Amino acid sequence: MSAALVCQISLRNLIKHRRRNLMLFLAILIAVAGVVSMNTLIRGMQYSMAEAAVENLTGHVKVHAQGYRDDPNISHSFALDSDFANEIPTDQLLGWAPRVRLPAVVMSERQTRGIQLVGVDPAREDISFLYDVELTGEGLADLDDQRVLIGRELAAQLETEVGRRLVIITQGGDGLNRERGYRIAGTYNAEGVSLEKVFIFTGINPLQALLETSHVTEVSIRLSDEAATDSALQAMTGFFAQQDVADWQELEPTAAAMFLFADAAIYIWFLLMMSALVFGLINTLIASVMERVKEFGLLRALGMARRLIVAQVVVESTLIMTVGLLIGTACGYGIYLAMQDGIDLSAFAQSTDMLGMSTVLVPRLEISDLVLIGGLSLIMGLFASIYPAVRAVKIEPLEAMRN
Amino acid sequence: MSASVVVECRGLTKTYQEEAVPVHALRGVDLQVNTGEFVSLSGPSGSGKSTLLNIVGGLDRADSGEIFIDGTAVGSLSTSALADLRLRKLGFVFQAYNLIPVLSALENVEFIMQLQGVDAKNRRQRALEALERLGLGEMAGRRPGELSGGQQQRVAIARAIVTNPVLLLADEPTANLDSATTEELLVLLQRLNREHGMTIVTATHDPQVIGFTQRQVQLRDGLIEHDSVAEPV
Repeated sequence: MSAALVCQISLRNLIKHRRRNLMLFLAILIAVAGVVSMNTLIRGMQYSMAEAAVENLTGHVKVHAQGYRDDPNISHSFALDSDFANEIPTDQLLGWAPRVRLPAVVMSERQTRGIQLVGVDPAREDISFLYDVELTGEGLADLDDQRVLIGRELAAQLETEVGRRLVIITQGGDGLNRERGYRIAGTYNAEGVSLEKVFIFTGINPLQALLETSHVTEVSIRLSDEAATDSALQAMTGFFAQQDVADWQELEPTAAAMFLFADAAIYIWFLLMMSALVFGLINTLIASVMERVKEFGLLRALGMARRLIVAQVVVESTLIMTVGLLIGTACGYGIYLAMQDGIDLSAFAQSTDMLGMSTVLVPRLEISDLVLIGGLSLIMGLFASIYPAVRAVKIEPLEAMRN
Repeated sequence: MSASVVVECRGLTKTYQEEAVPVHALRGVDLQVNTGEFVSLSGPSGSGKSTLLNIVGGLDRADSGEIFIDGTAVGSLSTSALADLRLRKLGFVFQAYNLIPVLSALENVEFIMQLQGVDAKNRRQRALEALERLGLGEMAGRRPGELSGGQQQRVAIARAIVTNPVLLLADEPTANLDSATTEELLVLLQRLNREHGMTIVTATHDPQVIGFTQRQVQLRDGLIEHDSVAEPV
């Protein structure tokens, strides 16, 4: 019953000083909406970087031959037993792709460049960035295709084009060079020029024939959910006991560090915004308490317990915070929906390429972020009410009534 | 102590420090108020009447001496126990009305009952009855700012009496009212005393108020100078 009374008085006081409280409420609303919408952008950026790292021929989990990462040579390769796929639950496995990937030198009529030559099964490359690149000419037809697919930027650097021939030299397992000519089937546009400059793709079978091997140098495994990475890593480590199994975070440490940094950025951004707000809230609550010294004194004189006086200040703070939080979150969600088609960052393509993210930033809403923002904001609201509540409770009834 | 004694003060002293100068507000006051009495505490400014009223009301503590309210030794009570005693046994009427500005007249009257835990239906009925008894039935929904001074003071009286306290304390209850409204209020307090046996102690320097009381206690320099019973007007 006393709780109802406290809520009634608190609510009426909030309404009575509506102009002042409206300002504070708007500040909370804007801050919360800003934090929520900015979080969706940071999360979008974070997952875009992670996605790019995974799509960059890495996958969530990757198996290499022992020693390959230190010395990427065909002698560090292994015979692939495709039964490994049975070790990962089908609902978690998006796909896998075997590859032969070696450093090589490519020569056109005019230029020479160092590149990574990758023998692939095109049908299985729907797990990498190759599946949605913009092509000029044709893509690789199948794993027996003897032509090459090169990046648009590399084609420009080599001053060549679709239909022309290239010579690629790489090293066989015996340490001798293997060289052959390839016709360019097509060029790909991978959003970022760093990928376009590095990778040349060809069918895996002709490359294995050139290197006189049936082995692969790597298998990329893509999962439907990043959260399944640890269990898949464990399963693959068990299956490929003789090989080198690693997850994307180990293989792409920069992207993994950026992923963690984005987490930290979210909390720092939240704390900065909300801390500024808390001071505003404390200030307003103190003003409210000081304006009502006589009223608090009267309440004490009439026998209201101290805990109810504290409760009044806490309820006022919590009410403002809760309403600001709810409407602010709704506004933040609205901003998220408005941006859902993505923000075109192609004007900053060099920067996005450097960060390893897409040129279209698609915001990402995490329910756990909303819960965290809501919970922490309410805790901060309660924290903000402590000092004003202490001030209110220290008011002596007699002194207050005299004044 | 007799069961009919509501207030018993023995040797109350109180000294304030004003700019490092001690002011002896009470110098050893003995006072007994019995059930059903209408007592005025009067005297010039600084005589100690308000201090005595505040100590009796549990709003202030004596430096020494003993005080019993309805048999309870007030001096040894904790702050929260004292607040509970004020809530359950005393009714207050202040000079400046002191209604809660964000509550309506009805809600102000219900306020103490709400703190006491009286159920909503009973509370509302009693508050309405109290307002009607004081001629404010039609003003029940108005906020204090929408009422005249006299009406506000009547709401304050309704709030003070609705819980049937053992003692009603009134500090200069008519100081802000014109003479006609003052008389109206005094008649009301007298009626409460005579018809309902309400024990009332009021601090005042207004002869009109003193004239309405049954017992007049005069203080001077922190001591009771005169304590007499006279037929009220």
